Amino acid sequence: MNPLTYALREIRRRKYRTAVNVAGFVIAISTLITLVMAARGWETCTTVPLNSIGTDIIMFYTAPIKASGEGCYIVNHLFSYPFNQSMLTDFESVPEVERAVPILMHRLRAMVFTGIDPSETETNAVLPSSIIEGRYLTPDDGYVAIIDKEYAVLNNLTLGSTVNYAADFEVVGIVDVSATNIMKSHIYVNLPVVQEVLPEKPIGLVNMALIRTSSPGKVKQTAAALEERWSDARTLTGSDLAETAFGVIQMNEETAWSISVALAAVTVLFTVKSQLGNVAERTREIGILKAIGWSNSNVVNQIVTESLIQGVIGGILGCALGYVFASYVLSTIGGEIGGALKFVTVDPVLLSVGFGIALSSGVVAGLFASFRAARLAPAKAIRTV
Amino acid sequence: MMTKNIIELSNLTKTYQKGSADEVKAVDDVCLEVAQGEFLTILGPSGSGKTTLLNLIGGLDKPTVGTVILDGLELSKLSDGELVKVRREKVGFVFQAFNLIPTFSALENVEAALAPTGMPKNERLERSEELLGLVGLEQRADHLPAELSAGEQQRVAIARAFANKPRVLLLDEPTGNLDTKTGKEILEICHRTSKEQGQTVVAVAHAGYVRKYTDHLLFMRDGKLFSHIPQEEFEEAL
Repeated sequence: MNPLTYALREIRRRKYRTAVNVAGFVIAISTLITLVMAARGWETCTTVPLNSIGTDIIMFYTAPIKASGEGCYIVNHLFSYPFNQSMLTDFESVPEVERAVPILMHRLRAMVFTGIDPSETETNAVLPSSIIEGRYLTPDDGYVAIIDKEYAVLNNLTLGSTVNYAADFEVVGIVDVSATNIMKSHIYVNLPVVQEVLPEKPIGLVNMALIRTSSPGKVKQTAAALEERWSDARTLTGSDLAETAFGVIQMNEETAWSISVALAAVTVLFTVKSQLGNVAERTREIGILKAIGWSNSNVVNQIVTESLIQGVIGGILGCALGYVFASYVLSTIGGEIGGALKFVTVDPVLLSVGFGIALSSGVVAGLFASFRAARLAPAKAIRTV
Repeated sequence: MMTKNIIELSNLTKTYQKGSADEVKAVDDVCLEVAQGEFLTILGPSGSGKTTLLNLIGGLDKPTVGTVILDGLELSKLSDGELVKVRREKVGFVFQAFNLIPTFSALENVEAALAPTGMPKNERLERSEELLGLVGLEQRADHLPAELSAGEQQRVAIARAFANKPRVLLLDEPTGNLDTKTGKEILEICHRTSKEQGQTVVAVAHAGYVRKYTDHLLFMRDGKLFSHIPQEEFEEAL
């Protein structure tokens, strides 16, 4: 009779107690996995939409600047007024601002027409890596455009086709841009050409700046510094975007871990109490085993094995349930930005950590209970009814 | 020829605290020598201290005063680990309530006594089967205690007690939960096997028929041992 066989028999014999202990592990581990993955999903929501275009902050004006331009450009859900392109150099003077990239985005009915500086290949409304057919724009390009894949399919456009938005443009490239990209447009053209062809003639003007910071951890502070210096300007960060679209769970991973660790601690205490109850119920049996020559370490080994098996069962079920819950949460939350969550899958390392916590909790609970069992005086234990 | 004493008790006393002030002497200044191979029976009424005396001899309990020398080892001087070894190698217990592990089969209950010895599994099983054969239970090896009669359970307990070929067999009311016929069978097995293997037996009992198997009979009353007691007290004790 090895400890494992004995443990499995005892577990079967005490079904209710085992079920309660395992349920504790399952709740703790599945909650850990679900909360941490939800937090990661939320954090992804805050970073992917902007990170996919290499930017940390979008900066724009929501009121006209008398000195710098005129006209109103409606950009997605933002009302954005033009400002002088030369201000981008001023933006770059703010600490932590590494690069400010000009964008001129124009919207007419459902169409979005965007002017970009093709020399900016790290941060831009569309990046060269998005090209799936043809080529990216160059600074020397004139009346040529790259277009979005979905727009091309919908309108039967291919390389060499002509698209019209204030002027005719030859299609030289097709891009595949994620729906999570806030700068997603139908047509992208060289910025000076856009400034020239639009009816408002915004020569030297842009209506958005994509800001890349040197410290990703200080995005909020940098955005605040920009708004402080240009008080009429507004900034948009990943967190701002997520908050508008993501209302279910807003917590960071540290908070999720804190809650989960607290829950795991409660589970350990609960399991310790339950295992002590188990030992109390088996006092006589432990006394018999000691009377026939079992050592304290034999007894400890036995109790810990039983507790460990419960941890294993709880860990496996907890991980499985956590995987299901986390997958469900990731698939249903996030609203418009939720598409970003396709980048988030349930982390196998997190599953391993969850399983490890269940195992170690089982061992800790087992050790506590087994030390009490080992201290039992055999004669007294045998007298127990 | 001088026979070596396997058990020597000197001024053995075990006191229990009852309440805050009262002390109860379960065993009171007992001195005893038991020769190797002897079958000693102690008769006495319930609460006279017989089980406590057996627990002290077997190292399950520690005396308040006095010494227990078992096979040359003074138990009070042994560490917990050494006491475990004594219980494992030198002593076999048979209890009135059988005290089998309910989730173990008959075979596994016997094997449980061999498990901590480091004996290989196949040898343990072989030895356990042999012991069950010795008590006539080879056909019931796979049965759980709940599936065995009281007499069969006690036979499993006896097989378990003999597992490690102990020097001393301690029988605590082994027939207490059995009918007379089964009780006699149990004593017969213990007597025959212990004589075959040269083991010393200390039995505590109520049943008068135990005298048939006994080399030496003692009486216990109020924690004290007597070699003779008046006939009426003896009858009362049974």
